Amino acid sequence: MKLEELSKHNGQNGEKAYVAYKGKVYDVTNSKRWKDGVHMARHRAGEDLTDFLALAPHTDEVLKSFEVVDTLEIDESKTQSSKETLIKFYQKFHPHPVLIHYPLGLFFFAALMQLLFLLTSLSSFELSAIYAFFVATIMAIPAISAGFLSWWINYDKQPTKIFKNKITFSIILVLIGITGIVIRITNPDISSTNSLAFIIYNVLIFANLPIVLFIAYEGGKITWA
Amino acid sequence: MDYTLEELEEMKQIILIAIPKEISARDFYLNAAKKFKTQESIQLFLSLAEQEKGHEASLRKILKDIEENIIKIKNSK
Repeated sequence: MKLEELSKHNGQNGEKAYVAYKGKVYDVTNSKRWKDGVHMARHRAGEDLTDFLALAPHTDEVLKSFEVVDTLEIDESKTQSSKETLIKFYQKFHPHPVLIHYPLGLFFFAALMQLLFLLTSLSSFELSAIYAFFVATIMAIPAISAGFLSWWINYDKQPTKIFKNKITFSIILVLIGITGIVIRITNPDISSTNSLAFIIYNVLIFANLPIVLFIAYEGGKITWA
Repeated sequence: MDYTLEELEEMKQIILIAIPKEISARDFYLNAAKKFKTQESIQLFLSLAEQEKGHEASLRKILKDIEENIIKIKNSK
């Protein structure tokens, strides 16, 4: 029988109580430990228990006392999902944690260089800042893309609070980066003036820091919390 | 026990985050099993891997229950 049919035999409302284990379907209807199709207030009849037995305080020997009534047909289309190749790739190379640290570090480096420029007026610091800001913004894009891949593979694209926060602030991070780069490129002499563009450019460079910290903090909660 | 929607959403997030950890732990033990030649060592790590698979299956079951409860609450509003 298929899993769908197995689920009908849940031991309730006069139904038989069947459970599957390693491809075999057992009838546990008459077992005292499966009263009304419920076992130890934890497992319900009508389910495939193959993966659960390793956690049980008994071995699969207990199933030998029950009659095998059928075999369980596994739906191959479900086990061979289109995600499989990507999952293997992700598990082997875990691109999100690999890619994410460089842009985060570089945003801080850019802000530090800009701060030193504001304190010393040395143009080399300003140049370092825009280079770091540019590279950080560009590198944030593959890092965020890998984050989306992780969200899809590991968390089934579930829009819970942490993921909503990470997505929203990552988009803001990139938009701020692109805006800052555009302002700086279209105003090459920006740093020798005290124009509005110069102020906005500085605000953007420093405003990214709390955003970077927040994204990293949310990422840390997923990994460590 | 009756949970609020907020509690269920928080529980769902915790379970969602825990599932890949169980999968990683299983892979960790399966890879560990490959490093040994004695049956006892291999069996030890395979058994630990099986337990992680069980944890994953339990979490997926809990997740399904939580999602059903969330839908119930949303539909009742």
